[in-house]
Amino acid sequence: MYRLGSRGRLLGSAPRDTFDWVLFLVSASLAVVGVVNLYSATSVVRASLSDLYIQQVYWLVMGGILATLVAAIDYRHYERLGYVVYGGGLVLLLLVFVLGKDIRGSSRWISIGSFSLQPSEFMKLFMIVALAKYLHDDPKNEGRTLKDLVIPAGIAMVPMLLVLRQPDLGTALILGLIFASIAAMMRVRWSSLAWLGVGGGILVPLAWSYVLKDYQKQRIYSFLNPDTNIQGANWHEHHARVAIGAGRVFGEGFMKGTQNQFLFLPEQYSDFPFAVFAQDWGFAGCLLLVALYGFLTLWAVRVAATARDRFGAVVSIGVGALIFWHAFFNLGMVTGLLPIVGVTLPLFSYGGSSVMTVMMGIGLLMNVSMRRFAVSVRTSGLSFLESS
Amino acid sequence: MSDRLVQRSDASEFRKRYQWLALFVMLAFVLVVVRLFELQIVEGADYTSQAHENIVRRVPLPTTRGVIRDAQGKVLASSRPAHNVTVVPWRVLLSAVNGKRPDSLADALDTWPKIADVLRLNPDERTRFQIRLKEACAGASWDDSPEERRKSACYRPLLIREDLSRDIVAELKEHDEELPGVDVALLAVRFYPYKTLGAHMLGYVAEIDQEQMQRVRPANFDQLSADEKQKLNPLGYEGGDYIGATGIEHAWESTLRGTRGWEKRVVDARGRYRTGPDAKRLLDEPAKQDPLPGRDLRLSIDVELMTAIEKAMRPHPAGAAVVVDVRTGRILALYSKPDFDPNDLSGGAGRGRVRETFEKLSTDPLRPMLDKTMTGSFQPGSTFKPFSALAALENKILDPEDRERCDGYLTFGKRVFHCAHVHGKVNMHDAISESCNVYFFKLAEAVGMDRIAKIASDFGLGQKTGLGINPEAPGRVPTRGWYAMRYRGQFRIGFTLNTAIGQGDSLVTPLQLALAYAALANGGTVYSPQIVRAIETSDGTVATDFPPRVQHKVHISPENLARVTDALAAVVSDPRGTAYPARDPGLEVSGKTGTAQTGYLAGKNEDSKHAAYFAQNHAWFAAFSPSRAPEIAVVVFLEHGGSGPTQAVPVAMQIIREHARIESTRGPHVAPPPLLPNKPAPAIVQDAGTIDTPAPPDDPGKEDDDAEAP
Repeated sequence: MYRLGSRGRLLGSAPRDTFDWVLFLVSASLAVVGVVNLYSATSVVRASLSDLYIQQVYWLVMGGILATLVAAIDYRHYERLGYVVYGGGLVLLLLVFVLGKDIRGSSRWISIGSFSLQPSEFMKLFMIVALAKYLHDDPKNEGRTLKDLVIPAGIAMVPMLLVLRQPDLGTALILGLIFASIAAMMRVRWSSLAWLGVGGGILVPLAWSYVLKDYQKQRIYSFLNPDTNIQGANWHEHHARVAIGAGRVFGEGFMKGTQNQFLFLPEQYSDFPFAVFAQDWGFAGCLLLVALYGFLTLWAVRVAATARDRFGAVVSIGVGALIFWHAFFNLGMVTGLLPIVGVTLPLFSYGGSSVMTVMMGIGLLMNVSMRRFAVSVRTSGLSFLESS
Repeated sequence: MSDRLVQRSDASEFRKRYQWLALFVMLAFVLVVVRLFELQIVEGADYTSQAHENIVRRVPLPTTRGVIRDAQGKVLASSRPAHNVTVVPWRVLLSAVNGKRPDSLADALDTWPKIADVLRLNPDERTRFQIRLKEACAGASWDDSPEERRKSACYRPLLIREDLSRDIVAELKEHDEELPGVDVALLAVRFYPYKTLGAHMLGYVAEIDQEQMQRVRPANFDQLSADEKQKLNPLGYEGGDYIGATGIEHAWESTLRGTRGWEKRVVDARGRYRTGPDAKRLLDEPAKQDPLPGRDLRLSIDVELMTAIEKAMRPHPAGAAVVVDVRTGRILALYSKPDFDPNDLSGGAGRGRVRETFEKLSTDPLRPMLDKTMTGSFQPGSTFKPFSALAALENKILDPEDRERCDGYLTFGKRVFHCAHVHGKVNMHDAISESCNVYFFKLAEAVGMDRIAKIASDFGLGQKTGLGINPEAPGRVPTRGWYAMRYRGQFRIGFTLNTAIGQGDSLVTPLQLALAYAALANGGTVYSPQIVRAIETSDGTVATDFPPRVQHKVHISPENLARVTDALAAVVSDPRGTAYPARDPGLEVSGKTGTAQTGYLAGKNEDSKHAAYFAQNHAWFAAFSPSRAPEIAVVVFLEHGGSGPTQAVPVAMQIIREHARIESTRGPHVAPPPLLPNKPAPAIVQDAGTIDTPAPPDDPGKEDDDAEAP
């Protein structure tokens, strides 16, 4: 655990002393377990896909380098460049429409050489930075009005709409939830909150009619009637649930989960790696994994609480929200708590953009954590998370 | 630089919220854990069994249908392997599928032309199948979902060729790698090595039809309990199974069929079987149930004799012949003509051939599908006379030595009844040997119809014999009662006269007549006919042996019987006997000829040749041999064959001669081969309770409640 100096005196600012070992170890554990699980998940697929886990290691290494860079540079530089970064992200999102590769009915990727980049993934971080920058520059201690929310909402809405156009409902949803999580930090007037509720009540049906595609609606129908049409629309969800259930207490063992071994789990390396994990390792393994995600998220809240300024706090909350919502939606979807939305499980799902985004996010957390010493732990209000 | 960077901003706005966020996060993950607990602990057993069901499939193991052998062990019906070839349309005709191909198949060529070459399809078949493949894929696209793929014919195997030659199978195997989507399925096809010989008796097998399927596997079959399933479908039929359709194949279906086994196999989501230790580990015990092969049947039929009959019958277009062992009631030959090739009907040569053959058979005026030994019944003509004579003798109505005068006709009221010749004064002996109708008209007048009917029925005429391998015609021995029901008007003496000579409304089947003559030959014992001598296991052990069964003994005085059989001997041996001209001096034969008028009325527009044929009389010869110590009874029936003495007798003589020759080549101690003693049936028989349960129709145990011990 990280160390406070004796008598509360803070140690010097050398990275060796300020390095957040908890964050590092939790993240590293997740990454290792993720790769091991990916090895099990892809052990059954065709040769061209069976070395995906090696690819994933490359992405993790690259992500690690990026995270180190991100963590090394004082985050106040990012604060300064917040809008620039955000603007760059928007440009990339627009480029998708021009250069995007169409894969299964939506264009989310741009190719750079042999790499495929998914700008919407990185956009999550850029949006967080931009929101942090705005809130950093606009401190308010009394309740905010609707007018005060227009700009932050706009910062979130623009990329959301662009992503929805791809269409990529999952990413748009995550962007919205990250914004909502950050917004939950702000003091908003009760009357404004009421208006927001009314607005949401109007927008949701409109979105259902005009924004959601038929296949997306179908997923929601399937979610509401899970046991119908097992051969068709509910195939994924049904077999994922069977895999999880069949894991029972201790699982069937590494690479022994039959649902994956016998190809009943499509998308087992992208959206459904948890189903593979659950049948291999059972409830015991799942409990450990959920604990890791929970701990990582709570640690992000702690980093926010101990951040030395508003920018750091908002960035930490944003990154925490990113990890939390990804994990919660993926687990919820795979266990049948939530409808199927293509949301990846951080560090578990295969994917370069996703891995690098999460790694850079962790780099940001590390950055804030390492530079937190201006604020006393006591004042954070998060005393239950304190380490001695 | 550091000045620019130090822009502290107060974070107190957020301070109160961290706890709530942390609480929310914890609650969310607790929710996930609760859900995992529900799935993995509470419902874990259910999902485990579901996962198990997903991958473990019971694959049926085929059984082999029993072999049918003749008395000498020659195979009459067995199963042979056949290779059918199917192709998966999209795989062999990629160009037929719409849309943009996936990259992996971008450069793949259609393999169909090559397949057509290997299968040696002619240009006509080639285009026909190509059209069918294209039609199958008309709506298919590369973007089809798995569900659409399951529905589309484009992804389902299409049968192209049945019963491929070995060469083509070998060639296909050789090109296996280059020809994806082609599958050669091995299946068993029923095979009748003697082709048309004995077709009616053996029958054929046919694919189970919709109606039968409905009966054994109704729509709700899968929901029924194991007991109900067993009751409804004891033999475990499934769609596409072959089932005995007629003849012995049908009647002994439950014995011949065997019981399918099963084996648990591990199968993945794409339906591919997995092997190896990893897969085996997942199979629960018992992992396999071996199939029980069907039981073999040993018939009393002698196929060599059948061959001889076929040869003897060659000049005649239609008819039947029956040879019975008079000492046992076992049937040595059962022949009906015209016939068909059961190989064509049993699917071995393809479905097309089955359809074609049926069409041809059902329109043939000579009715080749009809088993004329038992399903058809005909007027017996003069072959009936011995029974009329016995009726007179047994009832002591007349003195057999009294002579009656035959002028070639007899007038009763306004009607004139004819005889074949002017026989002069004949006693009973002469009347039988020379076949005098007038004598029998006078006899009938004195004896009366019902007394004649009583004796004839005692000998089994006009009654089903209970052989049961094909539907039996009961035949008819008319009585006064029958006429009273049938005709409103006055009973006429003419009915009686016609009955006495086997005309009018009398009908018998050749099988009945053969058994009746066997009873004449053996002193009055009517046997239940047997065609299946024993049930054997595939290694030749006798599982069930069927001893001869006496149906009943006719109560008749030996002197009267001797008087009639003497007359029957004279039919052949006396120079005035009707069969004398066609006799074989080397054979001792007793019998009676018959020439039955059919009363055929030609239709208005009927082809004259056709009409001429159908206007001809039926020719009969019913006999037994040797006369003094009879062994066999033979009935030859030539449908519209003309005259009994000139047509039927030579055929019968040839059959009897061949029988004697065959017997002599084998020697008395060789035939029939000694049956092995009854061993306790192997254990598997008890398991398969279904094999023995439905009693075969000609199981003698069921028929004769009042049987006397032989």
